[in-house]
Amino acid sequence: MLQTIGGLVVFMAQVARATFSRPFYLRQTLDIMAILVQRCIVPVGLAVAPVGAVISLQGIAVFKLFGAERMLSAFLGTAIIREYSPALASVMVAAQAGSSIAARIGTMKVRGQIDALAVMSVDPVRYVVVPGVLACVLVTPLLSVVTNLLGILSGWIFAVPLGGVDHGAFMDNLTAQITPMDLWVGLGKCAVFGLGVGMIAGYLGLNVGRGAADVGKAANDTVVSTIVLILFTDYVVSMALLGAGL
Amino acid sequence: MSAPKQRDDTPAVVLENVSKSFGSHTVLDGVNLTIPRGTICVMLGPSGTGKSVLLRCLVGLLRPDTGRVLVFGENVAELDEKRARDRDRLFAVRRRFGMLFQDGALFDDMSVFDNVAFPMRLHTKMREDEIREKVRDRLARVGVAHAEDKFPSELSGGMRKRVAFARAIAIDPDIVLCDEPSSGLDPVMSATLDELILELHRTLGMTFIIISHDTAEARMVAQYIGMLANGKLVTFGPADQVFAENHPALEQFFTRQTVGPIKVV
Repeated sequence: MLQTIGGLVVFMAQVARATFSRPFYLRQTLDIMAILVQRCIVPVGLAVAPVGAVISLQGIAVFKLFGAERMLSAFLGTAIIREYSPALASVMVAAQAGSSIAARIGTMKVRGQIDALAVMSVDPVRYVVVPGVLACVLVTPLLSVVTNLLGILSGWIFAVPLGGVDHGAFMDNLTAQITPMDLWVGLGKCAVFGLGVGMIAGYLGLNVGRGAADVGKAANDTVVSTIVLILFTDYVVSMALLGAGL
Repeated sequence: MSAPKQRDDTPAVVLENVSKSFGSHTVLDGVNLTIPRGTICVMLGPSGTGKSVLLRCLVGLLRPDTGRVLVFGENVAELDEKRARDRDRLFAVRRRFGMLFQDGALFDDMSVFDNVAFPMRLHTKMREDEIREKVRDRLARVGVAHAEDKFPSELSGGMRKRVAFARAIAIDPDIVLCDEPSSGLDPVMSATLDELILELHRTLGMTFIIISHDTAEARMVAQYIGMLANGKLVTFGPADQVFAENHPALEQFFTRQTVGPIKVV
């Protein structure tokens, strides 16, 4: 366990150094970003849209008890933008992107392609890991923006046309309660979670065993460990931010 | 720090007392050899005697436990890839190598053309039309010109090996390392590859270090021959001399005898 943590710390330092020094492999980063967006946008949308709907469905009944259904959108917006959207977007990126990055790097390792890169004087961390990490860091917030809109839209559908909440009141409360800080918190969380997904996928991929089964295990371990990390970190960060009044 | 300037007579490779173990298993045990630049050296030996480990030590993929590995005078054994200042020196040495891996190690997500063009795009300032011309020349030399748009998964094992050889010689390296180049090839293609090695050696003066089980290949191309058995370099030297000495292990290997100094574990 200690050895793994030590290895991960050294690996993170290697990634950090490679990220901020030449040569940069921009093309690889853009290619991976395009693949991640293609693979993730539909599942992420499908995961978040029902959450907005459920919040409205459940929330409207409770808010009506206090005659405060016009406040529903404030709750919906905060929940979606600060919590559900970052967490679900990141979990989907972990499931789709993390596993595929770990499997790709692991396969390259098993088939000797990582050694081939090294012999050609190409730093494998710089060429195959950093683009994946950067892609996760950039794509996860991007997906979160889309899921914010989808989540609120689905919540609006169940609150306004189907739930009878006044559209003007819904929008007024939404815009009054949601601050730029909420947006930044959500996007910041996504970037941090994306960083975690990319790092863990890269580390497990590069340190894969010798065979196809090990590649599969690396992909599975990436998904499980990143989802646990995301959900746990989300809780800690939310507590810390609320404690700080943010 | 850059690699020290070398005189032309500096050997391509010198191994001094190189040993490497994995756990309790000693793979290389005090290996000493000198490979002059511009020669073709064939390293023979049964499976599992450390031939591939030797190649990996040359390019710094593995670091020996003891000894020095000098490549054009630079001691690769003291360079740690994880240290930034060592890495630049190691990469400078590696740029002088082309390597044909045992399984080809082609990049799955690139076409044959892009695989061969990869080192050119990385390490040269060639224009794309120059790269195209050179890639096609290399692919034609190894007999796979028709496959430039295919992907590695669409190739046979022999074709993958030939493409990998084209990639290994893509930027005219000083030293070409070949890990069992003829395995998986039919005898005709194997002989064609040997002729290509001889031609490249003759025209470009490349140094070749070839790991092989193929005794016919050794007789055809080798100027220097070494034999690894049980972790030790049992014989090494100019091919004529080695063949004349006819070390018992070499004789056993060439005559396919099961009894002799080479132990089958």
